[in-house]
Amino acid sequence: MSTTLSGTASLESATAPEARPRRHKAVGINARQNGAAFLFLAPWLIGLVFLTLGPILASFYLSLTRYDMFTPPQWLGLDNYVKMFAEDGRYYQSLRVTFTYVFLSVPLKLAFALGIAMLLNRGLKGLGFYRSVYYLPSLLGGSVAVAIMWRQVFAYDGIINQILLKFGIDGPSWITSTDYALYTLVALAVWQFGSPMVIFLAGLKQIPQDIYDAAEVDGAGPVRKFFSVTLPLLTPIIFFNFVMQIIGAFQAFTPAYIISGGKGGPADATLFYTLYLYEQAFTNFQMGYASAMAWVLVAIIGLATTLSFQSARYWVHYGDER
Amino acid sequence: MSIRMNRRDVLRHGAALLGSAALTTTPLTQALSQSKVRVRFAGYVESQEQLTQTLAVLKLYSEKNPGVEIIPEFTNFGAFTDKIATETAGGNAPDMFSVNVDLLAEYARRGVTTPLDAYVPNPINLADYLQSAVNAAKFDGKQYAIPNDAIGPTIITNASSFEKAGIKVPDQMWTWEDLAETSAALSKALGPRFWGVEDAGGNYIPCDIFLRGRGKSMFTPDHKLGFALEDMEAWYAYWKMMRDTKATPPGDVQALAGNDDPSTAGIVAGRAAMNITLTDSFVGFQALSQDNFVLHMMPNGFRGGEMKQRHYCYAGNSTTVSAKSPNQKQVIDIIRFMHFDPEGAKTYYTNSGMIPCSKAGRDALAASGTDADRKIIAYLDLLQKDPAPPRYPGVPGMTGMLTRANEGVAFGKMTPKEAAQQFINEVSVRLKK
Repeated sequence: MSTTLSGTASLESATAPEARPRRHKAVGINARQNGAAFLFLAPWLIGLVFLTLGPILASFYLSLTRYDMFTPPQWLGLDNYVKMFAEDGRYYQSLRVTFTYVFLSVPLKLAFALGIAMLLNRGLKGLGFYRSVYYLPSLLGGSVAVAIMWRQVFAYDGIINQILLKFGIDGPSWITSTDYALYTLVALAVWQFGSPMVIFLAGLKQIPQDIYDAAEVDGAGPVRKFFSVTLPLLTPIIFFNFVMQIIGAFQAFTPAYIISGGKGGPADATLFYTLYLYEQAFTNFQMGYASAMAWVLVAIIGLATTLSFQSARYWVHYGDER
Repeated sequence: MSIRMNRRDVLRHGAALLGSAALTTTPLTQALSQSKVRVRFAGYVESQEQLTQTLAVLKLYSEKNPGVEIIPEFTNFGAFTDKIATETAGGNAPDMFSVNVDLLAEYARRGVTTPLDAYVPNPINLADYLQSAVNAAKFDGKQYAIPNDAIGPTIITNASSFEKAGIKVPDQMWTWEDLAETSAALSKALGPRFWGVEDAGGNYIPCDIFLRGRGKSMFTPDHKLGFALEDMEAWYAYWKMMRDTKATPPGDVQALAGNDDPSTAGIVAGRAAMNITLTDSFVGFQALSQDNFVLHMMPNGFRGGEMKQRHYCYAGNSTTVSAKSPNQKQVIDIIRFMHFDPEGAKTYYTNSGMIPCSKAGRDALAASGTDADRKIIAYLDLLQKDPAPPRYPGVPGMTGMLTRANEGVAFGKMTPKEAAQQFINEVSVRLKK
């Protein structure tokens, strides 16, 4: 520290006679350059302020009002929030559905992605091809077409039941049964394991071969190597994937919307949080209530992310830590 | 090359250029828009055919009126309701748009649309229109919309299935008990994996007709609920009995149908012999099946009770005009062209699957249309012989609320009484708004 300071000081004193005017000029250049920078940033900045920050703040205001989109908002205070937790049974149903979905789909998807990544990490020929093939479902993932296909697969006369019929089993309509509908959506999410898989694959390639060699010398078998080398060294990647997937899963919308025809049916079995929010906003014209729901969702996701980060110190190992 | 610009100059001049462009574009766009009236027309259609004919008639109008540019924004009903709500809220309502009975009430009540009485009967003469449809397009006694078509409640019936089962298609005047027995017999003859009638417990119009059979109705003319808890409980209990006797598919199979998509309907997919719906589904359903479909009435009462024609005709699709539109006269002229210009009306209705609301239009279509058109027209004529009181406007989202409660019973999560209570609670909240 001290060397740096004295170094700077000596530099300044050495150039003292010219320093003053030059510094003025330097400030001028900075200001001009900043101006130019802001000008070029303007499209993004204007977008951020007017298209993102503005609406976010407006939605917070609206969450404290009754707003049907046609007539001006009326101030309600915290009534929307109170109603949500005290009176609305369907709100709790949407929470139940969403939490079930998050708790099932995220671990399953990560386990699946890690498994496939490890299979692909065995020096296969044509790795690029397999990687693309397994990534494909994720590319199509958010699309309407895949959700419609899923409907066909799990419908009453879909592929699954046609196979079951060959074994003499008259299967239910999986996608429209209150007992199974949510789990078909979990299966759809797990099937779209591509993006965490690609990240896992990159992480696996980062683990130095010498550690495995050393473990082998010490007599470690494949299981031991997985639990004592691969998994601990991969925890930063797992953590990253975990947080991203949690955030994504809380916001799941498209598959449920398409598969249930936008209604979260049957009998609210797939009433995802976002779907209910959408229904309140655009079918019931309760934009204030929907805004309040959106803010609670932000809080839930924020809390889940914070808890993940808090827990990280107990199970995430960074390679450079001692 | 005598002008040398540094980066600062480029920026400064660039900004000046942008500024001057902004100044000049305002009068420029105004001049452009003055030379041509732009009319946005948003709506929903029931079929590809209806969309084709609607776009054709609007194109024809623009050709005959070069000063008018019509911007068509059409979609299916589900997407339309969200789109129109959002656009209206954003102060960006189209000049003219489609409504059904419930949307009409919703938008008229909020002052989004404007009464059109000043244009009736000249140039819009509704004298030979189905009066029940004209009345259903009124709110608070004012004409808020012009009916584009005529529809009525019906049970679309696969006559081929009846033949295969060796069961006679019943008479038009029949009871809810007859429907239950006929359906159970069909399921028995043609099942398993086949049922007599699709579950209509989540369907608004048959529920209204069921309630009318009990001397009640879904809504009253003064926009209140027209029934008591036990009436709605009876409705859900009826459909529970239908599922228990296998007259109707179980909840999970029934839930496959819907989504405004005729191919998901059980009658089209070969799972059921009857589908309780509206006449405007007929053309779409028949087009997807080789079997012979016919139109049958819904039950008109209960065994031992009063038998009376309970069906009403109205418009499935009407056009309404935005209160803020600066082009109202133009909009009215477009409606006039679609409905009353001989060439316009012919283009709009022929092969569209829609049945015109005017007597003259129906007669013309009966002469030139398809077999399916003629079947619907004959059926609507039958309903006109002894018309029931009209359908009263309710609230949007009826199907969702009715279906949720019905599914609650179907999946064993609620009793019919609890389902009825849930439905009443949900509708009441919306009626209050």
